Amino acid sequence: MIRNVIWMMALIVGFGANSTAQDIVISRGVAKTSVDVAGVQIGNDTGSQTFLQVLKTDISRSGWLELGRAGMSDFILTGRVQFDGSTMRSTLQLSQRGSTRALLSKTYNSDSSGIRRIAHEAADDIVQAITGRRGFASAKIVMVGNRTGSKELYMSDSDGRSMYPVTADKSVSLAPRWSRDGSRIFYTSFLRGFPAIYRIDLATRQRTRISNFSGLNSGGAVSPDGKDLALILSKDGNPDLYIMRLDDGALTRLTTTPGAVEASPSWSPDGRQIVYVSDQAGNPNLFVISRSGGSPRQITTRNRQNVAPDWGPHGEIVYASLIGRRFQICVINPQTGEIRQITNDNNADHEDPSWAPNGRHIACAKTSQFRSKVYLIDSMGDAPILLTDYDGDWFSPKWSP
Amino acid sequence: MRKVLWVMVVVALVVSSGLTGCKKKPKAGAGAGGFGDFGALGPIDGAGYGSLMNPDDLQAVASQFQPVYFEYDSAQVGSGERSKLEAIVEFMRGNPRVGLIVEGHCDERGSNEYNLALGERRAQAVRAYLIGLGIAADRIRTVSYGEEKPAAFGHDESAWRLNRRATFSLY
Repeated sequence: MIRNVIWMMALIVGFGANSTAQDIVISRGVAKTSVDVAGVQIGNDTGSQTFLQVLKTDISRSGWLELGRAGMSDFILTGRVQFDGSTMRSTLQLSQRGSTRALLSKTYNSDSSGIRRIAHEAADDIVQAITGRRGFASAKIVMVGNRTGSKELYMSDSDGRSMYPVTADKSVSLAPRWSRDGSRIFYTSFLRGFPAIYRIDLATRQRTRISNFSGLNSGGAVSPDGKDLALILSKDGNPDLYIMRLDDGALTRLTTTPGAVEASPSWSPDGRQIVYVSDQAGNPNLFVISRSGGSPRQITTRNRQNVAPDWGPHGEIVYASLIGRRFQICVINPQTGEIRQITNDNNADHEDPSWAPNGRHIACAKTSQFRSKVYLIDSMGDAPILLTDYDGDWFSPKWSP
Repeated sequence: MRKVLWVMVVVALVVSSGLTGCKKKPKAGAGAGGFGDFGALGPIDGAGYGSLMNPDDLQAVASQFQPVYFEYDSAQVGSGERSKLEAIVEFMRGNPRVGLIVEGHCDERGSNEYNLALGERRAQAVRAYLIGLGIAADRIRTVSYGEEKPAAFGHDESAWRLNRRATFSLY
């Protein structure tokens, strides 16, 4: 109970004091369920310690759970984590306090390179077992980094660790997006001097050029069924929204806006609609159009710019809104038009938000003092967490499905 | 003889770089070989010079063309900027085999992807203006670099106004 009150007070202090004149709906705080992990016995090796540390971090970042004290927690995790020099073996049992019934009883095995992976898996299993909700610890983030002096694609775990470069082109790589099955990345690159859309197959490490019309090719977003690509082309005039059928390249033009530009398409979860940016009404705003065309519907009207939409698994659209002098993360329900402002920071811009697969957390680029880093943001109020504690600037994170 | 050479250069350009992609279907398998084997052709301004002018001469000429500057969030070629295009028109008239690439740029503020589109729109606005002054449409290509190639590296209006621009190269 006391924890509940403190939690609500934190929300009021954090958000209430800075409310602007918008229709801001403050996220309701949720009490966290505590998990005691003190009963997990680990070996003396660094592998076992890494496993437990990653698991604890994931639990505390899950949004729904927190690490609790022995004897006072809602759930108790016990088990044994051992690394025999070649195999990591983690056997875990989860039960509710006062109950002997195991909600989860599972063994996770890996070699030394998979320790973080199985820790993330275990964390997601624990979140699922306690809350019935999907966690995001096992998800990946593709993003843009410039630490080599060129913008390249990078891939990391959900906690920003295990980062590796996906491209090494010394060109400009931008705007990565996942296929819905998580097997492919589509992105825009200046590899051959002009912006074209490429597809990378992660399993085979093959790259294919998908769209290379004259002028602009950008924003390639794959439909949920994997058959179509929403993209921005300028081959017929100024940049407009098109759909390309991926099996034969057939194009359908969705917008015709003389004197205006379109950008940043993102599909609805059912694949029937696309949200995108257009400045047809003056400043850039979000519009929704049927995948079969017709009249677009403008869904944002306030603030000078509303850009970079990402349509999430629960039907809400997260985007960046220029409020005063700073970009802030907002969430809009496209049915009701209700808007929640998620960040409220007068000293930083928050841009390019992406929903985590749990539909609650968001990754975005936060720029302050002209340095950009990727942060984990909780749409329900947990404190932001820096994910890219590395040299260089980091942009445009996109969560795997 | 000049003509034959010119045709050969153009054919070589088209075949090797695929730059005339507007009528082509996307090529499956273009990336066979994995990450990293792409950049062999380099950027277009180094890819070939169909005009048969010395590439260095062309670059020297292009570097004399004044950038066209834009207002924030605008793709309109301002009346004060239009006179800068006269030197380009004059050169293009005197060198009918030279092609022009108009490069659109934005300042660093705002959405990366929106800026890519806005930069294209800026380049197209300049292109339309040049076509209006009599340059054949098929001699002018556009490319947008969005906010990726700033001319000035500061983070205030004095830098931003230099970065909201259209620049030029010749081929």
